[in-house]
Amino acid sequence: MDPGLFAKAHGATTHFPVALALGSLLFESVAFGVGNRPIARTLRAAGYWSIALGAVGSLGAVASGLLMTKGGVLGHGALRLHHQFVWPAFGLLVTLATWRVLTGERATRRASAVYLAALGLMAVLMLAAAYWGGEMMIRR
Amino acid sequence: MNARCGAQFRAMLVAGLTGVASLSAAILAGGQMRRAALKTSHQQPTPEEWIESPTPTSPTLIKQGRTLFLNNCAHCHGIDASGDEGPDLHDLEVSDRFISNQIAKGVKGEMPSFAKKLQRDDITRLTAYLRSLAGEENEGGH
Repeated sequence: MDPGLFAKAHGATTHFPVALALGSLLFESVAFGVGNRPIARTLRAAGYWSIALGAVGSLGAVASGLLMTKGGVLGHGALRLHHQFVWPAFGLLVTLATWRVLTGERATRRASAVYLAALGLMAVLMLAAAYWGGEMMIRR
Repeated sequence: MNARCGAQFRAMLVAGLTGVASLSAAILAGGQMRRAALKTSHQQPTPEEWIESPTPTSPTLIKQGRTLFLNNCAHCHGIDASGDEGPDLHDLEVSDRFISNQIAKGVKGEMPSFAKKLQRDDITRLTAYLRSLAGEENEGGH
């Protein structure tokens, strides 16, 4: 087996959930901002599918990461910092995606605002995790 | 309105539970993999650095590692780690975990265990220093 297989798999699988989750934040934010205009429905649908696919994709990213570190869930140095952000981001991403899928179009405006705030927090955590992930690559 | 709020609350509850369950499953799976890995590969001196947790490195860590090396290892491995009573430590083709284990557990009849003398962070510093030796050799054009 190629010894770099899981490292390559992790590199290949992490970027899709990051991009989809950030895309979802963008679509949902614009949809929230435009209110009841016809475009809002389309944007919300884009946000819905982006977060759902992002959460599904994150399972692959987490699995390949665990295989790469041979099950290391914390580690030390830059890896520890990466994990300190990645685990809350992952938990929050799955939670938000599940809520979004279960709620669909039935969310109240207040619930949508809370959802957006949580999505923003998740994006910040995810970006911090991505930063430390990149630092590990550079430091090697 | 109340039914709508109730449905949203239930969705929130299910979502929270799913998030916590996913996170717990990932961490438990990680622990399981860790235990399996510790039983197998950590004693195998195979080149596997790509699938290891990377050892952090920085000029400070390397400097601290060198001090630890001079105080604990140099009398056997030589002041420049090129070998004396112990082997040359340049260009080690083993994983970081293997190096850490070797330092902590020692080698029966050949090298003492440093588990009681060195903290885990010290071993990380030493590993960072030993890794830097490979770079030094490459830069030197050997």
